[in-house]
Amino acid sequence: MENHETILETKKLNLFYGDKQALIDVDLSVYKNHVTALIGPSGCGKSTLIRCFNRMNDLVSDCRIEGQVIYHDQNLYSPAVDVVHMRKKIGMVFQQPNPFPKSIYDNVAYGPRVHGIKDKKILDGIVEKSLMQAALWDEVHDRLDDPAMGLSGGQQQRLCIARTLAVEPEIILMDEPCSALDPIATAKIESLIDDLKKEYTVIIVTHSMSQASRVSDFTGFMYLGKMIEFGETEKIFTSPDEELTNNYITGRFG
Amino acid sequence: MVNGIMKNFNVEGEKSLYNSRCISDLVIRGILFAAAVFGVLTVFFILLFLLKDGMPAFTSIGLYDFLFGQVWNPAGVNPAYGTFPLWVGTILVTLGAMVIAAPLGIAGAIYISEIASYRVRSIIKPAVELLAGIPSVVYGFFGLVILTDWLRVTFDIPSGECWLAGSILLGIMALPTIISVSEDAISAVPASYRQGSLGLGATHWQTISRIITPAALSGITAAIILGMGRAVGETMAVMMVTGNAAIIPDPIYNILSPVRTLTGTLGIEMGEVAVGSEHYHALFGVAVLLLAITLVVNISAQHIIKKIREKGTGAKKNGRKMIHIEFPVIKKHLHDSMKWLKYTLAGLLIVFLLYTSIIAGIAAVALVSLWYGYIKNLDPKKMQKLAFSLLYVSIGIILVVLAIILFDIISKGLPALSWEFLTGYPRDLGREGGIFPAIVGTLYLVGGAILFALPIGVGAAIYLVEYTGEGRLTSIIRSGVDLLNGTPSIVFGLFGFAFLVLFVDFGVCLLSGMITLGLMVLPTIIRTTEEALKSVPDSLRHGSLALGATKWQTIRKVVLSPAAPGIITGTILSIGRAAGETAPIMFTAVVFTTRFLPGSVFDPIMALPYHLFILSTNVPGASTNQYGTALVLLILVMAVYSIAILIRNHYHKSLRW
Repeated sequence: MENHETILETKKLNLFYGDKQALIDVDLSVYKNHVTALIGPSGCGKSTLIRCFNRMNDLVSDCRIEGQVIYHDQNLYSPAVDVVHMRKKIGMVFQQPNPFPKSIYDNVAYGPRVHGIKDKKILDGIVEKSLMQAALWDEVHDRLDDPAMGLSGGQQQRLCIARTLAVEPEIILMDEPCSALDPIATAKIESLIDDLKKEYTVIIVTHSMSQASRVSDFTGFMYLGKMIEFGETEKIFTSPDEELTNNYITGRFG
Repeated sequence: MVNGIMKNFNVEGEKSLYNSRCISDLVIRGILFAAAVFGVLTVFFILLFLLKDGMPAFTSIGLYDFLFGQVWNPAGVNPAYGTFPLWVGTILVTLGAMVIAAPLGIAGAIYISEIASYRVRSIIKPAVELLAGIPSVVYGFFGLVILTDWLRVTFDIPSGECWLAGSILLGIMALPTIISVSEDAISAVPASYRQGSLGLGATHWQTISRIITPAALSGITAAIILGMGRAVGETMAVMMVTGNAAIIPDPIYNILSPVRTLTGTLGIEMGEVAVGSEHYHALFGVAVLLLAITLVVNISAQHIIKKIREKGTGAKKNGRKMIHIEFPVIKKHLHDSMKWLKYTLAGLLIVFLLYTSIIAGIAAVALVSLWYGYIKNLDPKKMQKLAFSLLYVSIGIILVVLAIILFDIISKGLPALSWEFLTGYPRDLGREGGIFPAIVGTLYLVGGAILFALPIGVGAAIYLVEYTGEGRLTSIIRSGVDLLNGTPSIVFGLFGFAFLVLFVDFGVCLLSGMITLGLMVLPTIIRTTEEALKSVPDSLRHGSLALGATKWQTIRKVVLSPAAPGIITGTILSIGRAAGETAPIMFTAVVFTTRFLPGSVFDPIMALPYHLFILSTNVPGASTNQYGTALVLLILVMAVYSIAILIRNHYHKSLRW
């Protein structure tokens, strides 16, 4: 574990929604070009944690955060950080596919356009490359101008991944990306995640333990806002150190 | 393929998070903030201005004499300013209107949402909405020419201008509000209720009467109250058909007696009052009273609607109605600083409830006796037939009324239309010649009003929805906007006259009219834009923000385009409303005839609604041109409304997430 380069690290992260504490002293290291899975029962704070990594929690009123999230030696929560610029480097794929009500092409080109690319040829290249990376190109290359809302759920989710890739982030956050999808679409996304880690760092929240064991290199188990155990996925799922983890992965609760 | 990535903009090695595209975002935020502040300050300025000019009425005349004095006679040797007959008149006419409109409207709503097939519904709904679009002066004209004449002959009375005429006309005008709000409430009843009831073997009518209507009852109540609000604030139509004698009907239930309403008083007397006189302040006092009544009416409607929303049974997803409001702040304000108003309101409410309960009592007795005498013994199938035929009759009456109004105006107006009529100037007090200056004047007025209100309204709405949380401040702002939204249009006319024409000294001119109309439609634009923005799901905003787009980029590229149909619809409806309104421009912008088009915004102008008003009330023997003017105005406003309805229907079908 020591030879891996750490790209993102939380230090004593505490988060409150009003009076309610949702994260308690979370310490976590995320390694570059690996897939890290966060698992745990509903309400354990795993989605809250992943939303700290690109400050989507800023959009929740009365949400208060203490502690640090370190990315390339900089604290994401320091006042000097430009949230917008940061989110360009740490992208996010949401639980429900949320394509914009635009064409397939415009969905993928949205990010690059927002970041100032106007040249049609460059945009074409980015769109093609991103859709290929998201394994969607073959299905949609002849109808890029169709509305994205006409795609199936699984296609929409891969489109959202392509949209995120088009911005060329370093880290991709996925918040239960398959929970709204059928098994075949899920399998496609999972194999996609495997491809993506060559180029990107992926953090995925999932409620499916089998999914975590299939796609991730490292797994963190959370319970009631605390990071109970973190380690290589194989170890977590075969011989966890903590009793609580063992109970969860063997299905005794959750 | 993953290896072949060329870095396009995330330059390798650039790890810093301290970049800034914030400057333009800050500038835009500032502009939007300014729009919001301006919009909001205007709202409160209008209220304060009215209060300021109305206050002397209460102090010098005396609150009791002003409210309960039996005589309103400003022109007498000993002028008297007792508003008792006026507000009693308002209440009577409104109640009469509700007795007519409530059963018809509810029946119509049940028919549309429960019984009509998809195709029938797609014809009837727009038809009802068109009914809402007919300008009040056109209703007034129809009432004056057809309705009062019919009443005079039928009841053999010297003049048909009476309480009943006003109530019938206001009832028709309140119908669209009642129908569409009730229909929303009924449609919002979960399908599972319906299926559950039908699954137990209940007939369709049993399901409607025992499950669906009770579940939608609070929404229907709110619909009736909102319709009442509309009726209380109506000026032109009422003024043209009620006879305007400031007396209390004798006996009180004499529906053929002439009456005079608060709005009618303002419409008649404001033009001729000496500025700063006791009469002038008394009229502002009347405006404040009117405002207080609409406030009570609207607060109760909002209160009910808010309750429905809290319970979560009602129109939770219906973003398109502009009716959820928090008034506590204003209520508190009233409580603190104007105790007298509280007592007034309480008094009004008691009288109001008294009358309502009398009428409700009569209706209930009639229904119950009907129930026991006949209906109870019917088997469910026959019962359903009876009920449905009543519903058919109701919707039939509504459609026939619409058809009569349209047919009368179109059939008699068409012969008047000619090239000369449309492009010529009026002669012989409008009996001869054309209405070209009036058409141009109306277009100028509406164009100016929209140019003024649209940027401010949309900017303010974007700021309120996208940049502020739901705090105390936004709730104050929203209360103010909603208060203004329910304010009778004549009150805007009053404000425009007192502030723009006299105080700022623009005089009676195009500019004063534009601003007055703009202020009138501002709340509508703010409200509809807010609703349109709120209907855009947050997931789209989050998707864009997570890609590193700035707030303004997100709003401009992701939020505004799906919200655009809603904003456009709201704007077009505002255009239609501005084009058809008479009361706000009556004292601020128009003259009856001018031989010239306006040379600058400081010239007075002609406008279609006002032209029609004067032609039909003050110029005998102008029948042809009256109908011609009414038809042109009707076509203009209907065209605007049809476009709005088409746009809405088009996007309702194609937009989904």
